[in-house]
Amino acid sequence: MGATPEIALPPAAVEELIQALAKGLRAHQLYLPNNPVYQRALETLRAAFKPIWEAGDELVLDVVEHEFRWEGSVVYSQPNRNESLAWVFFKDGVRSLTLLPGVEQDEIVGLLDVVHRARTLQPEDNDDLLTLLWEKDFQLIRYVFQDLASSEAGGMPIPSSDEVAVSAGQPRQVGYAVEEEAPTRAGVVRADDFDSTLYFLDEKEVAYLRDEVEREYATDLRRNVLAMLFDVLEQQPYPTVRAELISIFESFLPYLLGAGDFLAVAYVLREVRVVLQRAGELLPEQRKALEDLPGRLSQPEPLSQLLQSLDEAAAHPSADELGELFGELRTEALPTLLAWMPKLTNERVREVLEQALQRLAVANVPELINAVTGTDPMMALEAVKLAGRLRLKQVVAALSQVLGHEETAIRVAAVQALSNLTVPGALQALEKALDDPDRDVRLSTVRVMMQRKHKGALPKITAAVQGKSVREADLTEKMAFFEAYGSLVGEEGVAGLDAMLNAGGFLKRKEDPETRACAALALGKIASPAAREALERATGAKEALVRNAVSRALRGPGGELG
Amino acid sequence: MSGPQARRPSVVDTIQSTDAFIRGAGRSFLVTLYTALRSLKLYPLENVQVQKSLDDLAGSVGQILLREREIELRVTGEFIFVNSTRLRLDLDNYASFSHVLGILRAVGVGVVHATDGADRREWTSFLSLLLAVSSRDSANRSFELANRMRDAGVTHIAVEPPMETEVSEEEEERVKEQSKRTYQRSVAVTKEVINSVRMGRSASVKKVKRAVQAIVDQVLSSETSLVGLTTLRDYDDYTFTHSVNVCIFAVALGRKIGLGKLQLYDLGMAALFHDVGKSRVPLDVLNKDGSLDEEEWRIMQAHPWLGVLTLFGLRGYGEIPFRSMIGTYEHHMKLDMTGYPKAMRARQMSIFSKIIAVADGFDAATTRRTYQTTPIQPDSVLKEMLENPRRGYDPILVKAFINLIGVYPVGTAVILDSYELAIVTAANPVPEAIHRPIVRIVSDPTGTIMYPGHVADLAEQDASGAYLRTIIKVTNPDKYGIRVSDYFV
Repeated sequence: MGATPEIALPPAAVEELIQALAKGLRAHQLYLPNNPVYQRALETLRAAFKPIWEAGDELVLDVVEHEFRWEGSVVYSQPNRNESLAWVFFKDGVRSLTLLPGVEQDEIVGLLDVVHRARTLQPEDNDDLLTLLWEKDFQLIRYVFQDLASSEAGGMPIPSSDEVAVSAGQPRQVGYAVEEEAPTRAGVVRADDFDSTLYFLDEKEVAYLRDEVEREYATDLRRNVLAMLFDVLEQQPYPTVRAELISIFESFLPYLLGAGDFLAVAYVLREVRVVLQRAGELLPEQRKALEDLPGRLSQPEPLSQLLQSLDEAAAHPSADELGELFGELRTEALPTLLAWMPKLTNERVREVLEQALQRLAVANVPELINAVTGTDPMMALEAVKLAGRLRLKQVVAALSQVLGHEETAIRVAAVQALSNLTVPGALQALEKALDDPDRDVRLSTVRVMMQRKHKGALPKITAAVQGKSVREADLTEKMAFFEAYGSLVGEEGVAGLDAMLNAGGFLKRKEDPETRACAALALGKIASPAAREALERATGAKEALVRNAVSRALRGPGGELG
Repeated sequence: MSGPQARRPSVVDTIQSTDAFIRGAGRSFLVTLYTALRSLKLYPLENVQVQKSLDDLAGSVGQILLREREIELRVTGEFIFVNSTRLRLDLDNYASFSHVLGILRAVGVGVVHATDGADRREWTSFLSLLLAVSSRDSANRSFELANRMRDAGVTHIAVEPPMETEVSEEEEERVKEQSKRTYQRSVAVTKEVINSVRMGRSASVKKVKRAVQAIVDQVLSSETSLVGLTTLRDYDDYTFTHSVNVCIFAVALGRKIGLGKLQLYDLGMAALFHDVGKSRVPLDVLNKDGSLDEEEWRIMQAHPWLGVLTLFGLRGYGEIPFRSMIGTYEHHMKLDMTGYPKAMRARQMSIFSKIIAVADGFDAATTRRTYQTTPIQPDSVLKEMLENPRRGYDPILVKAFINLIGVYPVGTAVILDSYELAIVTAANPVPEAIHRPIVRIVSDPTGTIMYPGHVADLAEQDASGAYLRTIIKVTNPDKYGIRVSDYFV
């Protein structure tokens, strides 16, 4: 304490400090560092050190089972070992703990952490309080421990110097022998043998070592160990060794996945293939086990776990990493991937997953067809969309089948998918969707028919336009049907449409304005002179809706459709 | 009445902030000192680079003086202290520290003390004189330096000879005993692990960790005593003592190249485990007297990869010792990744493996074991390791290893020009005297073997500058009935 006279420290101040330490430990266990309760506990603990340092420049606590003692006084006692802070130290051999000024700044948090971890350790764990304390490399916390392990260690006998002295006591006259031997022999290292830089490493050498150490700590150790294991698997023909290695790989996959090391997972799967190609004398069961390894990741449960962890991960792996991993998935992964696709929230994950999906679907269309016609609606929806994006002709029948699916979204998706397919069968299959009970399905279908100018749909569209059903539909659907009709029917539809648009007068019932407007649009699609003439006759229509439609239709082919 | 009670200057504030400040400012001081020394050595004083380096030095000195009023640079053993705070050696400052340490030792300076008033001119004069004196062949260079500093009007910088580190016999004995306990316990733990694996029982990694931590502590505080114990080389317990020796050499070498404490721990764990695969080699092969046949060699050569499998089995997957696995697997590989096991997948060799390879190669070659009944003399081993590229050791690490244990490694028996027999106990701390180690003389000039003998520094000179003793030959201690390890216990 230098020149300042020391102030007597009452044991109560130390008791208070230990209490604050115990409370700090509880807070450390229960709360995150940014929690106000934790921060208050730490403040209290730090404040409790103040009177200690005002009285002395170190605090030495003796640890006696469940007690801390200071200067002979018990300053903490908790007989319940499960709760005793002192016992945590005592049981691993710590007998004295010295805290130095400044410990409350940073190291106290480290100490709380170590004690917390030590409390949760199991006997079979590879650490105890002492190993944890050592690893923290505290500068302001010292501890004296009784080496409990060494007492049971036994070990090689090392003689004491007294014992040696006894055995070396017989003087030997060696002078003559020394003189005999004295001429130098060749091959002995001398300073002259080396250049002067031997004394020091030069800057380049130091830089090399620094780079090497940096590399050591930047290296992907897991990958290196995996490479070694694969080298051994490939080269060592011993069946038991190979069985052991395969077992390691099998347990390693979930470990790597849990660690988020997707590149390593992909690496394992890739190298398994290499080993299967190159390793000689593989037993059939070992070959099968290796072949099954990539398949395991493609199975629903493990893959779901992977996708879930990816979706929930705070930091997502790069697209390259994911791409490499998903690139290793097998066909059986397809249904799970399809089921997960709509659930994923991360765009990058989705994009990479889409690539994997496409690859798997193209490689195995029957699996995709199964998913399209499967019972899981979410999976079916994704499968239908995927089939559409991929324009897979083989899927027409399945898509046609799901046009009867009870889920509207699936039927709409099926319409879109079929519309992407350029085979005639696809549009034929779509015709029945014009009668779909759902307006969205019908609307999508009729638009497809118009875009693709599918004449096969004309009878149904004609029936709809001329019949009741469309007239009862909303304007959008009605327009879609009329425009499709106009696109498909050609000149022969002009008369009927003209009648709808312009008929009226004595004894003739005039169509409603919406139907007349739709008829105008259909005539615009036909765009023949007769159609134009019919439209011109309607330019003076009283209803704005009709006039606007006529005007749009007259603007020329395409103009009316906007 | 005084006002509200003024806050007493907190010991916490003082000690904590001073420590942190000195660590940073001290490091900067050492680096600028080194740069200035180097510039002055290479260029004339007027050179821009020299002037800048002196400005930088003045800046770092001023920073410390402003706050501390004085600077005390003290060299103790391998450590440098600035105002009583030990500066940590790491790979970023290794060259600077070593150079400063070397030049001060060469001149016989243990302490440089500077006070307020030590300006740029005085530092320039001091450093120039330091360089000049260091290149002279004089018996008392520190005295000469002090005189010339006084003549040059350097009044605020003073030099003192190295503090006599009068380690009491008791303290020396205590350190020795501690080293022996650490060594003994490490051997016991290694034996326990390897035997447990052999018997198919679970092994305590916790104990291994503790053993390695103790070795690291011991190497950091008193390297020589522990390195000396590597001469024990128990024939019956070769695998266990060898593992511990390799761990000690590796950690000491790691420290030499500036690894931090936790890095030394990583390295030590890998080194102690490097031969764990031998636990799966049949005992009749492992302990076979005489040479091994082809199949037996194949089995022996499997121990690196068997070690990896063993480490996988040693613990749950909570904490896979990847680094140790790599050290275990690669310690018989050469720099170009040849050797064994054969590498088929491209990757780079770990520096820890390279360090372990050097430590392993040295200890194995200098030890008598079942299939090598005549150990090779340590100096010859070093020469071979350094000069024969086919051995595949990293030459820079071998060089650092020679830096560590000397041209005549610890435990080497030598004949001196006085016809005395001696055993090398430590490399000379003065780097230029690497070929003049500290020895224990174990026979008198009449040829009588002595125990425990007495310590001599072979760099010691008489008044005329002639060396008192010089090594003329390395010899085989067995020839004289000397058991080297006796002199280290």
